[in-house]
Amino acid sequence: MLPATAFTPEGFLKDLSAWTPAVAEQLAAAEGIALTTAHWEVLHLLRDYYQQFDSSPAMRPLVKWVRINLGEDCGRSVYLLSLFPGSPAKIASKIAGLPKPDNCL
Amino acid sequence: MLHTLNCSPGHPAVQDCIALLQQEDALLLLGDGVYIALENSQGWQALQASGATLHALEADARAAGVQHRLAPCFTLVDDAGFVALSELHAQHMAWY
Amino acid sequence: MKAAAQGGVLVVTRHPQPGRSLARSALDTALATAAFEQPVNLLFLGAGVLQLLPEQDSSDVGVRNLRKVIDSMPLYDMEHCYVDAEGAARAGLTATDLPPGAILVDHTALRALFDSHRHVLGF
Repeated sequence: MLPATAFTPEGFLKDLSAWTPAVAEQLAAAEGIALTTAHWEVLHLLRDYYQQFDSSPAMRPLVKWVRINLGEDCGRSVYLLSLFPGSPAKIASKIAGLPKPDNCL
Repeated sequence: MLHTLNCSPGHPAVQDCIALLQQEDALLLLGDGVYIALENSQGWQALQASGATLHALEADARAAGVQHRLAPCFTLVDDAGFVALSELHAQHMAWY
Repeated sequence: MKAAAQGGVLVVTRHPQPGRSLARSALDTALATAAFEQPVNLLFLGAGVLQLLPEQDSSDVGVRNLRKVIDSMPLYDMEHCYVDAEGAARAGLTATDLPPGAILVDHTALRALFDSHRHVLGF
């Protein structure tokens, strides 16, 4: 378990390199989410996105990115909302250990 | 289109602006841009050649001490004049 | 009022990074506009084309790798961006250096590009 000082006031991980699957579980628990295989698929895609584009996606590019990589059934906002209720781009980025999306409202 | 140009003579933005400037446009010099209108300088001839109407913001021209040394193709405008120019042109491009 | 242009926002980015944050602000403005599903185009003009240099590594200076962020534009449904052909030539950028979907615009097409947008935002 990382101490509270490892996170921003909004709960985002300060040091990207401190992320581990255990940290993801901790972040997910704080959001009231129990991670399943479906969650992990999206989290790994988000980390790939960050590697490739040096930014966290807003909702629209996230949906498109998931559609490209996981297909039409997953690349829909309702699917992402079912996994990460509320604000999928923001919450999934948080659990994936990424900074808050710049263009997330 | 209204162009506002706010940079010293010789700055690359001056050339970028001149390349876009057309007869139906208006140009307003702001801040350090007012030095471009100095009568004895070489900066304004290309602006005049575009055929655009040329202005300088009066407060900035006075602050720079160029208000009595402007090339005759420039008209001084106050803030209300700036607003009027904005209303006259649908688009505004700020060069700085 | 002059005849209004067709529509959409043209974001004009004219400064290289990382010296100033203007390049980053221009890109964020374009991406945020696209995220709201508003029509937007991005034009790299003059020294702004230097943002497109492909081998950026900003890991030691603590800013984003702007070229990587630029490469995410198609995911925001910005399939194309516009690049000042003269500026690109001056910078020694070749077609293979540019992002996929980049459209080179020469001097006369530049003016037409400005005129085809309702709003112009210069950075």
